[in-house]
Amino acid sequence: MKQYLKNIKQSFKLKKSLNYFVIAAFLIAMIGLDAGGMLGRSTVGILSRIAYCIILAVSLNLVVGFLGELSLGHAGFMCVGAYVGCFCANLLHKSIASDLLVLIIAMLIGGATAAVFGFIVGLPALRLRGDYLAIVTLAFGEIVRNIFNGWDAFGGAMGLGTKPYDAHSLFIVAFIVVLFVLMVCQNLIRSKHGRAITAIRDNEIAAKAMGINVTYYKLFVFTIAAFFAGVAGVIYGHSVSIIRQDYFTYNYSIDYLVMVVLGGMGSMNGSIIAASLITYINVWLQNMLTGDLAGIKQPIYALILIAVVMFNNAPALKPFKERFNLRNLWDLIFRSRRKPEVIKDDAAEWNRIETKIKIDDLLSVEVPPNKANTPDKPQKDGAAAKPKKGGK
Amino acid sequence: MKNMKKIMAFALAAVLAVSCLTGCGKSESKKSAYFIGATGPLTGDAMSYGVSVNRGAQIAVDEINEAGGLNGVEFTYEMKDDKATAADASTGYDSLYDDGMQVSIGSVTSASCEAFASKAAEDNLFFITPSASAASVIENRSNAFRVCFGDPDQGTLAAEELSENFEKIGCIYDTSDTYSTGIWEAFDEEMKNLGTEYTVCTFDADNKRDFSSQVDTLKDCDVIFLPIYYTEAGLIAKACAAKGVDAEIFGCDGLDGVAEQIDSTVTNRIRYITPFDVNSTDEKVAAFVSKYEDAYGEKPDQFAADGYDAVYAIYLAMDAAGVNDVKISASDLCDKIVEAITDDSFSYAGLTGDMTWDESGACTKVPVIVELSN
Amino acid sequence: MNIVSGLINGLSLGAIYALIALGYTMVYGIARMLNFAHGDIIMVGAYAIYFAVGISDNPVVSILGSIVFAILICTLMGVITEGLAYRPLRGASPLAVLITAIGVSYFLQGIAQMAFGAKALPITLPNLGTIRLFGTSISVGTIITLILGLILMLALTLFVKYTRTGRAMLAVSEDNGAAQLMGVNVNRIIMLTFAIGSALAAFASLFYLFSIPSVDPKLGSMPGIKAFAAAVIGGIGSIPGAVIGGLLLGLIENVCKTVPGLSQYTLAIEFGILILMLLIRPIGILGKKRRVKV
Repeated sequence: MKQYLKNIKQSFKLKKSLNYFVIAAFLIAMIGLDAGGMLGRSTVGILSRIAYCIILAVSLNLVVGFLGELSLGHAGFMCVGAYVGCFCANLLHKSIASDLLVLIIAMLIGGATAAVFGFIVGLPALRLRGDYLAIVTLAFGEIVRNIFNGWDAFGGAMGLGTKPYDAHSLFIVAFIVVLFVLMVCQNLIRSKHGRAITAIRDNEIAAKAMGINVTYYKLFVFTIAAFFAGVAGVIYGHSVSIIRQDYFTYNYSIDYLVMVVLGGMGSMNGSIIAASLITYINVWLQNMLTGDLAGIKQPIYALILIAVVMFNNAPALKPFKERFNLRNLWDLIFRSRRKPEVIKDDAAEWNRIETKIKIDDLLSVEVPPNKANTPDKPQKDGAAAKPKKGGK
Repeated sequence: MKNMKKIMAFALAAVLAVSCLTGCGKSESKKSAYFIGATGPLTGDAMSYGVSVNRGAQIAVDEINEAGGLNGVEFTYEMKDDKATAADASTGYDSLYDDGMQVSIGSVTSASCEAFASKAAEDNLFFITPSASAASVIENRSNAFRVCFGDPDQGTLAAEELSENFEKIGCIYDTSDTYSTGIWEAFDEEMKNLGTEYTVCTFDADNKRDFSSQVDTLKDCDVIFLPIYYTEAGLIAKACAAKGVDAEIFGCDGLDGVAEQIDSTVTNRIRYITPFDVNSTDEKVAAFVSKYEDAYGEKPDQFAADGYDAVYAIYLAMDAAGVNDVKISASDLCDKIVEAITDDSFSYAGLTGDMTWDESGACTKVPVIVELSN
Repeated sequence: MNIVSGLINGLSLGAIYALIALGYTMVYGIARMLNFAHGDIIMVGAYAIYFAVGISDNPVVSILGSIVFAILICTLMGVITEGLAYRPLRGASPLAVLITAIGVSYFLQGIAQMAFGAKALPITLPNLGTIRLFGTSISVGTIITLILGLILMLALTLFVKYTRTGRAMLAVSEDNGAAQLMGVNVNRIIMLTFAIGSALAAFASLFYLFSIPSVDPKLGSMPGIKAFAAAVIGGIGSIPGAVIGGLLLGLIENVCKTVPGLSQYTLAIEFGILILMLLIRPIGILGKKRRVKV
């Protein structure tokens, strides 16, 4: 615990926490504009939408970018959070007068329930990896929808009616939650726990051999990501007046996957930028494209998704990419004396570290107890799994 | 590294700042026309409903403007796309309200109209939805009205009609759809009241294509009641034909349009409750149909007629209330329209029948049961 | 509800799932990737049939013509997606390949929506009539689905077991590095796998349209996912496993739909079985266990 606090202290350097200040400054500017009556209703609506999209993208990034597991059920966690949180909010409104208090309690309850489901979904993650886990999370999302659809207490097919929160204050609350989520995620990633998580992503067996408690960390990441998705669901529920299950399809999860991949897997700032940008563009396009032309959005996002993944991962492009990536280009142009190959980066560059174990090999991982100490192959990149003390 | 972070931070700031600019640019424009807003699914699975309503409403607005508008003041009309989701309907409402919407024809589908209605209730903005038939949309809301039948009314009517004329009754409904469950619940209640037994099957949005097992279950029925939309009804009719089931198919206004979905293999008798008959010889209907065909190259469906009627209901009510100020606020306008439209002397002979409204917001008109001729 | 007709309905649905699952399982077994876009190849095939079915008034000619056309289009589509999207990523991390596959699926759906609209298009296949069997009437389309489906599966099994190319496929699936050393052209084999999987998808789309005569851009996504579930339940990488898994899932789905009260939870039950299967026996009914190589 002490170590953890120390880590937090260390990481609180200005350059590392610039994004908090940017968001906070933005929020204060928006509050000022709103107080002056400069913001229209649609703008404040978009603001809270951007806020919950950021929360979802950042929390999905924890699972996909840092833990290295593909989750296609993020909308499912959001759905659980939205339904349960708003259901409780409806009950609480009878006894508590303050809307803010109700919202906060609802967020906690919705988040906690989603976290419980995150824990449950995280369990198969211990045995499965990659494609199988993706399908399990997808299946989970669809099951959740299916059950809420048939559950009359939650409104069934009609959907659950909620009491919308005043839009002019909702975005303030939502952005404060964004700051909080960002703080938790960023500090988690920069702590030794974060390095343990990225070590699992890069080579699970090596991480295990180093004494990292893989079970604990996998469940931990799934639970915390689900918690935030649930919170985002409650914010969503308070920005509309009815929650219906058909909003949370797996296509909706894929929208967030697009944000995470586009922003850069393993980059918090990237997720924030991509989430804000895509959400804003979506709202903007909603007015621009009509009829079947609206379909154009989907193939374009798909092409961007494929192009980004291919650029980052295609083996053939690797030499090219290493010479001409954005950071190196920047250095080439503005500080030519620094050579690109000198610049080493930390875990944020997930794709640079080769994954040695193929997916199918891990499907039925069984390291017999007597072979637990078999020496691992030498690491190509030492950054992947520097030995850490403890981890329990 | 440091520079990279800075660039990112600036990019972030820029992106977030851009997002607020939309709202800042808009100011109170000089109003020269009454603004009718709406949201509906112009894209996505349900887009055909939104597109129809949009076209029908547009024709009505054009007609009114050609005839000189309301005391010389024209109407403008705009529908925002909501993909039939509540979230987008809320966003759409907000941006319409920012643009100065004074009165509305609500949303096309029930779920999004629910979101729309709750926002409109806060602002006391009058809306009359052409097609959102769920009971909850207008319940406890003094500003909410509708043109179409309510779901429960159709269910009750169907139950009476079927239990009177048929022995073995079957029913297939969509558990994931508000419209379908709304009708079925009323139907079920009325059937219990009447003491009639019937067999029920269900499907949902994720299983809405394969109906062979449902049809098999109901193959001995004389009539199958389908409180669903026409796409699935067409598939059910075809599944019946493929299995040689010759039960009559009876449906609600959602079945309007089923003719395009089926082919000559379907020999079952098909009847449905609808307020709008496209082949009607009524002068108004014929004029509307020919106008619609000229403009869009296809026959209008019931949704288009509902959209048309909704706009006219607003226009006539505003006329009756003697509204004469183009800058009137939404709330004031709402009070005036509500007073006028619920007045006993107010009635409107539209494409979908002669309509009157009471305080509940529901529309009273006579339903017609039409038979589809092959 | 007649048990026989319920059984036959379930089996014919199962045969469709099994055909799709075969495509998944072959690609997974050989290329080691989950081709998320496989379901959308079925959608492409369905549109191909939609446009080709009107070529003749003769029902046999029209069905044969449209299936040939669909096979051509689907195979082409499968090979193109493999060549453009998956081949450059060979050797990259599985996560990257999976995300690309999702992108391809998304792309195909979006393109179809732009080109043909989001609205479901009704399609009129030649009416093949019904026959009476065990006291219930069953449509000829269902019978064809079942028989042809089983023939295709049998043919595939024989092909893989007894031809040179088939054995090369097995070799690649076992160890593609070693297969390459033995002179197998791995890229060509993987391309062929995609071609066969996509051709099977074309058959699946025809059978699908027999029971559900309507085409829309999202037609393939849910059957695709369910077929993947079937492949996993049967044991991924195993051809008989895919068949068993598909038929099982079809039967379960049909039972769920006919039991009142259960029918609205059909999807939850199917996916629930998948999750249980993965937790209890992740290798599926007929899957082979692989030892971990560190």
